[in-house]
Amino acid sequence: MKSVFDFLGWFPENISTFGGELDALFAIIWWVCVGIFFLTFGLMAIFMIVYRNRDGHRGYNYHGNNILEIAWTILPTILFAGIGLYSNEIWEVTKYSNRNPKPDVEILMLGKQFTWMFLYPGADGKFGRNAYTDRTARADMSATNPFGRDSLDPAGADDFMVENQFRVPVNANVVVRGSTIDVLHSFFLPHARVKQDVIPGTWMNIWFNIFKTGKYELACAELCGSGHYAMRAEYQVLSNADYDAWLNQKSAEIKGMNAGVAEEPAAADTTAPKSM
Amino acid sequence: MSTEAIAHSPSHEHVHEEAHHHVLPWYRRYLFSTDHKVIAKQFMLTSFIFLFIGGAFALIIRWQLAYPGKPIPVIGALFPSTWVTEPGSGIITPEFFAQLLTMHGSIMIFFVIIPLAVGMFGNFCIPLMIGTNDMALPRLNMWSFWLLPPAGLIILTGFFTPSGYAAAGWTSYPPLAAQTGYPTFTFTGQTLWLIAVFLIGFSSIMGGVNYITTVLNKRAKGMRLFDMPLTIWAIFITAILAVLGTPVLAAGLAMLFFDNFLHTSFFLPDNLVTSSKYFGGGQPVLFQHVFWFYSHPAVYIMLVPLMGVVSDVISTFSRKPIFGYKAMIFAIASIAGLGFIVWGHHMFQSGMNPLLGTTFMLSTIVIAVPSAIKVFNWLGTLWRGNIHYSAAMLSALAFVSMFIIGGLSGVFMASAPVDIYIHDTYFIVAHIHYVLFGGSLFGIFAGLYYWFPKMFGKMLSETWGRRHLFWTFIGFNVCFFPMHVLGLGGHMRRIYDPNVYDFLKGLHPMNQIITYGAFLLGFAQLILIGNILYSLFFGKKASRNPWHANSLEWAAPPHPGHGNFDSDITVYRGPYEYSVADRELDYWPQWEPGKAISIHHHTIAVD
Repeated sequence: MKSVFDFLGWFPENISTFGGELDALFAIIWWVCVGIFFLTFGLMAIFMIVYRNRDGHRGYNYHGNNILEIAWTILPTILFAGIGLYSNEIWEVTKYSNRNPKPDVEILMLGKQFTWMFLYPGADGKFGRNAYTDRTARADMSATNPFGRDSLDPAGADDFMVENQFRVPVNANVVVRGSTIDVLHSFFLPHARVKQDVIPGTWMNIWFNIFKTGKYELACAELCGSGHYAMRAEYQVLSNADYDAWLNQKSAEIKGMNAGVAEEPAAADTTAPKSM
Repeated sequence: MSTEAIAHSPSHEHVHEEAHHHVLPWYRRYLFSTDHKVIAKQFMLTSFIFLFIGGAFALIIRWQLAYPGKPIPVIGALFPSTWVTEPGSGIITPEFFAQLLTMHGSIMIFFVIIPLAVGMFGNFCIPLMIGTNDMALPRLNMWSFWLLPPAGLIILTGFFTPSGYAAAGWTSYPPLAAQTGYPTFTFTGQTLWLIAVFLIGFSSIMGGVNYITTVLNKRAKGMRLFDMPLTIWAIFITAILAVLGTPVLAAGLAMLFFDNFLHTSFFLPDNLVTSSKYFGGGQPVLFQHVFWFYSHPAVYIMLVPLMGVVSDVISTFSRKPIFGYKAMIFAIASIAGLGFIVWGHHMFQSGMNPLLGTTFMLSTIVIAVPSAIKVFNWLGTLWRGNIHYSAAMLSALAFVSMFIIGGLSGVFMASAPVDIYIHDTYFIVAHIHYVLFGGSLFGIFAGLYYWFPKMFGKMLSETWGRRHLFWTFIGFNVCFFPMHVLGLGGHMRRIYDPNVYDFLKGLHPMNQIITYGAFLLGFAQLILIGNILYSLFFGKKASRNPWHANSLEWAAPPHPGHGNFDSDITVYRGPYEYSVADRELDYWPQWEPGKAISIHHHTIAVD
């Protein structure tokens, strides 16, 4: 049984490149806090025992000491400002968009109550016209076509959507452009130390680089309604070969379906509603 | 002293006033009273009722998390059918769970901590501790209380609406809180919630204006600003915070109300895919900015008055002057000032520009400095004291120790990159409860044990007080400390059933331990209620100054009537002259004549 008093032992296994830095920063603050805890609680315990009320004893009329006040103003300032400045470097690397690495894989993500939806650019690596690539396509977003895809754009012919699961290659810079079609959600990958709220009307850049293959969980971390707790998805981190195979297979499937649809114009309306 | 003439209040009038008030009808004396002490007791009674409602909600939440899908024992069978999966099953639904956590947070913050910390202590302490007969604006004061019960009824009426209680969290972020799916002019739980919190805001503003006016204009003869006890300083600064911050919240709430009630679109962007057709052009994150611009200072509104109370209690029972009186005031002022420029740390992951994250991280982390100053000064006060462990003192020490833990866990969140992982997890829940329960509520207990003799003229039982604090302290830590590790395990807050997730399965025993702690904590409060009720009827009569304290409220009779003081009050010195050398008594009340000089931070009495 792990101890409640050892915070560092409770993190789920880290699988992302910057996750190690975040955990290390947490550990630094943890040890600083442990130090302050023992200092303050130690002093308090000592004073409480030594200066307890005893007969014939009297308090000490003393109103304070300016040198001490200055000392315990400046020392915490240096300590905490140091933590802040050190944190900032890591913050910039993880969140500033101009520090984001060049994407190897780009995925679109939409949250809706209580489902995660992902759009892949397919084997050609290019998205067709949709609500992300073209602002004007946002008007086409609907319950059946949440990404506002334009079925006439050939670049989008192999784009495919998956729900409540996604797959990414290992050791690749994955950039997820995320938004939502109804309320706020939060894209939380506990093992990869990723969390980003997504906002309707705005596309957030979320990047990560995972170094370990396997199957992990995605959770929603922002209250989004009664089904919030069950807004769960799984994701798989695959080797590059497995990922490419999956991508090609899905692209081929969707192309086949689109081709089938194209032969039957009557059915086209249901799969790609462009109606207002 | 040139300030004497200004500070001196027209104290002759209160003799006449007292004569008038004897003929007031009962409802003017007990219900619509303008006496600050009666209003304080009204705040106390109302908030204690809400404390138990909010607490009961919390226990239902805890039961669900420890035993998901198991019927609530005893009371579960009585739940109305909208709360449970099947009538009589006693298993709560996810919808009701969301309503519970929303109502628990809202009630505890807006109807318990703020009215107790600001309403009760502000009203009771200010006129007594600055030596005057009543507030500057007694009628406004009465109204500031009388907005509370209707607001409480309105928020609880949410139950009878088709949607049930508000269910978007106490933060009520749109679009979740703005999309009703109901036609215009429909009252839902959410709209009633907004009206209620809006009214509470007005109550805070009225109270705040009154406190500022009273402190500045009605101090007793001879009392300079730097002769005021820290309780008054803290409440004074809190009142400024409330007056500056609350109107901003009111604006945000009004806009959200219009979005709900009139289908405006302040916070709803274009191209939503929902059943509602009323949206477009709004910005959801704007609400978060407006909300936290108030609600972060609100954390200090809930905490700062108790920092003052605890300072007074620690000084009195250590029989020592407070260490660094002015440093304490400047620390409170800088906490309050910085409190207005740190709101963005609630929004590191909200999607606002990460550059703002940098700014808010640096301003937030600097708040640790005045907090550290306060802690070290409290420790400095204990140093070489003669500490009496009364219930009030134990409570104040619990405040200090729990505030240290709450403050330290705040450093983790203040660091934006660390916050990425712990944001919206139970780590945050642990932190806020260490600050608002471990901090504020222990501070409220300290003040209650300390001033109860003056409030009701009876002594509380010290033995039962210690028992109450012991079990509360144990229950509190068993309940909230493990929440830190839940958060580090990744446990999201506000989830109905953690067992949905594989990575949370190992944390289930922890959730159960927390629930045991919560029940212990909840039931320990019955000791306090028992103690209060017993003391009111059978308690020992209090003397005028039972703790041998210095500040002016102890110059008043044990159970002061309207007008407070039975003699004219003149202030001769600061409130912390304990254990002055060459004096037989180890305290030297502010109202006792006598001269002293100060040499190297020591006070020496001279004849």
